[in-house]
Order: sequence, then C-alpha cells, then structure tokens
Amino acid sequence: MASNPMQQFSVHKIGPEIKIAGIDLSFTNASLFMIISASIILLFLFFGTKEKKIVPDKIQLIAEMFYTFVAKMISDTAGSKAKPYFPFIFSLFMFVLFCNMVGMLPYSFTVTSHIIVTLILALFIFIAVTIIGFVKHGFKYLSIFVPSGVPVVLLPLITVIEIISYLSRPVSLSVRLFANMMAGHTMLKVFGGFVISLGLLGGWLPLGFSIALTGLEILVAFLQAYVFAILTCIYLNDALNLHH
Amino acid sequence: MKRYLNFFIALIAIQGDLYAAEAGMPQLDPKYWASQAFWLILVFTVLYFSISKFYLPKIKNNLDDRENRIKDDIEDANKSKELSESKLKEYEKILEGAKKEVIKIQLESKAKLDKDIHEKKEKIEKEIEKELIQAQKEISELKKNSISDIHNISREIAANIIENISGDKLNESSIKAAVEEISKKNVGKYL
Repeated sequence: MASNPMQQFSVHKIGPEIKIAGIDLSFTNASLFMIISASIILLFLFFGTKEKKIVPDKIQLIAEMFYTFVAKMISDTAGSKAKPYFPFIFSLFMFVLFCNMVGMLPYSFTVTSHIIVTLILALFIFIAVTIIGFVKHGFKYLSIFVPSGVPVVLLPLITVIEIISYLSRPVSLSVRLFANMMAGHTMLKVFGGFVISLGLLGGWLPLGFSIALTGLEILVAFLQAYVFAILTCIYLNDALNLHH
Repeated sequence: MKRYLNFFIALIAIQGDLYAAEAGMPQLDPKYWASQAFWLILVFTVLYFSISKFYLPKIKNNLDDRENRIKDDIEDANKSKELSESKLKEYEKILEGAKKEVIKIQLESKAKLDKDIHEKKEKIEKEIEKELIQAQKEISELKKNSISDIHNISREIAANIIENISGDKLNESSIKAAVEEISKKNVGKYL
C-alpha cells in the first residue's frame, strides 16, 4: 500500500546530536537540503561570474537574467529607495526558489514546506520592514494604518482592519509558501500512491495526472518564490515611501 | 466490473491513509524547530553575505561594463558616421571642383587646338598656294621648253626621215621652217 504521503515532510537527525544550552540544534535532513540549495546557488553564481565576457555564455547569461529580473521587480514595486535592500531580496528570492526547485527532485526534502522555516523568513522580513519604517519616518509611520480619504465615521473600523492586516502579514506570507509547497508535494505523493496501488491496469490515469502535476508544481515553485519576493518588495515599499 | 471494484477499494484504502497522515503533520512537531531555525539563519546569513559582498558586485560590474561598452561603441559609431558624412561632403566638393576644372580645361584646350589648327591650316594653305604657283610656273616653263624641244626633235626626225628616204641632205633652215609651220598649226591641238 502507498506510504504515508506526509512521510516526506518528516525531519530526522543526521549525525550526532548537537545540544547548545539545552536546545536541540542537531544537523537534520532539513539542514542538509538548506545547505544543498545554498551551495547550488553559490556554485551557479560562481560559474555565472567566473568569466567576465562582453558577450556572455549561457550560465553567465542566466545569472545576469536573475539579476536583472530581481532588479526590475524591486524598482517596479519599491522604487529606487529600495536599492540598498537589493542583495537581501535577491538572496531571499534565490534561496526560496532553489529550495522549492530542489524539493521537486525525487527523494529530496522540501525545506520551504516547513512552517517554521517560512515563518522565520516572514517574521524577519516583517520585523525588518517595521524597523525600517520607524527609522525612516518616526511615528509618522503609524499613518500607514490611517488611509486618507476615508469618511471619519468609518475611520476607527478601517484603522482596526488595517492594523490586523498589517499584523497578519508574516502569517499570510509564511503560510502561503508553506501551504503551497506542502499541498503540492502531498498531492504528488498521493497520485504516486494511486499509480502503485492501481497497478498496470488503472495506474495510467494517475500517472498522467502525476506528470501534469509535476509541471504544475514546478510552476508553483517558481511562482511562490516570486510571490514571496514581490510581497517583500511591496512591504518594503510601504515602509520606504509611506503613501498608502 | 472487477476493475472498478478494485479501483474503489484502492481509493478507500488511500483515503484511510490520508486521514491517518492528517493526524501527524511533521511540520507541527516542535522537536526540530529550533534546529531548523538555527540552520536556516546560519545558511541564509552565509548565503546573503557571499551574494551581497561577492557575487552581486561582480554581476553588476559586468553589466555596467557591458552597458558602458555599448554606449561607447554607439558613440564611436556616431562619431565615425559624422566624420564619414563630412568626408563625403568634402569629397563631393572636390569632385565638383574637379568637374568644373575639367570643363574649363576642355574648353581651353579646345580653343587652343582650334587656334593651332587654324594657324597651321593657314600656313599649309599658303605653302600649298606657293607651291601651286611654283608648279604652275614650272609647268608653263616646261610647256615652253617642251615646245621648242618638240621643234628640235621633230626637225631632227624630219631631217633623218628625209635623209633616209631620199638619201639627200636637206637644208636645215628649210626643214626648220616647215616643222615650225606644221607645229604652229597642230600644237594647239595637243597642248
């Protein structure tokens, strides 16, 4: 019978247990795949920037395309003021994208399918954006909760809604990525299980679905990385430009 | 029918599996949360610094270099274009000047040639006339001479014939007179 489709998300220790101040920080398969993803990014960038050609070769072209893609995304959504944050958003986009893509390989582990990972990224972005907002505008940053042009009667209600929506940003950001990745991989596993259990006679249909879903999941992997990065840009834009 | 039955049995079995799975979402097990957070922060920090300090400046430099190079090239091309256009104008000017000069030279040489030809023609014509007059003179002299020559020859011939026929020598003066008389009559016919 098909194995548990959630099995693929289980984290297990690799190597010896590492405990610092009573907290278990052991090296796990999640850590391994984080390192693999990061290594692929660094290796890719290493070969992409190894030779400085006026007419780039393929890998250099791809590296430059990533650069211009993220640069354009930032300048389109957050303007020129966001330039100092370009390395962070570039790293974020690349990390999420490569974690998602590495997760698409059979027998691999999807780092971004864990709520704790996406939540930490989202919380870091949320806190950093809030700090940037207060540093740039002082208490005027609070005016982000009071949109202009709203009737006075509605103002208290709108403000409350705005505060809730602001505070829910890290949750929506992290859950969006985590849920997408988890759902997709679970679905793939379930259909994979159908193929096995229905055998030669009935397995072709779920196999077709499986193939189609793999394509869809690759799209989702890219899309979610893009969405993650672009939402970060939008939040950054709110903090930097303060016109709601 | 048996096939459909198998399908449903399988579906139910897998559904059961799914529900079993829902009971344990590994993501919600806090056992390795701290570990994941720690490794995430570690890996991401390393990634961020190596990207921002090392790779992005390289890519940016390269892109800027290329842009500058393209800009420079375009500038150079424009300069070359302007230069070539000005050179073309210069060339056209020179060509026009040369054409004018050619026409001038042509006219000049034609005039000179005409003059030369005219002069030479005149000279030659004069010479021809001179020679013509000379020749006429010579001819008329020759005519005169030839008439007297004819007289002499005819006289001798007449004397010889007479001598041969009659065996007598005739008086020279009479022969002369006879010949002159006949030739006066007949020379006008042949000359």
